[in-house]
Amino acid sequence: MRFSTEQKDSYTEVSGTGRLNMVAAPKLREVVGEVVSAGNKRIVLNMLATDFIDSSGLGALIGCLKMARQAGGDLRIACVQPQVKMVLELTSMNRVLTPHATAEGAFSND
Amino acid sequence: MTEVLAQRAYQAPATPEAIDELHTELDRIWEVASFVPELDQMAFTTAVIESASNVVQHGVAVPGGELRLAVTLTVMASVLQARISEIGAVPSPEMPSGSLPDDDEESGRGLALIEALMTTITVELRGETKTWVLSREIETPA
Repeated sequence: MRFSTEQKDSYTEVSGTGRLNMVAAPKLREVVGEVVSAGNKRIVLNMLATDFIDSSGLGALIGCLKMARQAGGDLRIACVQPQVKMVLELTSMNRVLTPHATAEGAFSND
Repeated sequence: MTEVLAQRAYQAPATPEAIDELHTELDRIWEVASFVPELDQMAFTTAVIESASNVVQHGVAVPGGELRLAVTLTVMASVLQARISEIGAVPSPEMPSGSLPDDDEESGRGLALIEALMTTITVELRGETKTWVLSREIETPA
């Protein structure tokens, strides 16, 4: 899986391309950890090109969410694909990580 | 209804890299079995990867041995079946919990996910080989 980071006006966008599985999960933690360490607390994970997630990937998302919140910020997810939506719903994690339709809209109501 | 329409087998040392390779095998079987509805493909792929990841993460090789992952994927007209074997592992007959953990826990959702996605799950123990047999009935049979 490949990750890229882009600084936007009011948030940092992290995009992941590929499968968020046990191989990619530690990389996501590392990428988000660096973003948070650099002082960016509002993070949007753009999942448009993330075509798969498993429980390891879900664990990494929760870990990243905790990192952002402990720093006084938040992590939100956007553009989730059908398999990711299915896994979020079956594990009830959509209550904690609510998918947003667009990355731009994830923090727009704050 | 039990005629095998597509089948693939995969075996490798139980390493994280094997999970990506197995995922590619799953993509290949759907190229052949494209009649399987997308929801069933998605559910089956997710459960197989969860189960194989469990072998890689929690399987313990017998002293001096190598832990291997062996998977057979079978597509029938109305059923999808996977046999996921942990070969050369220290026997551990106990089953992990299938209930969902607290929202802030970072692990422990794998079995609950498999249970939600599969019609039947059985575990066979034979010496140093433990095999998970996962089946999902196709919602709209071909």
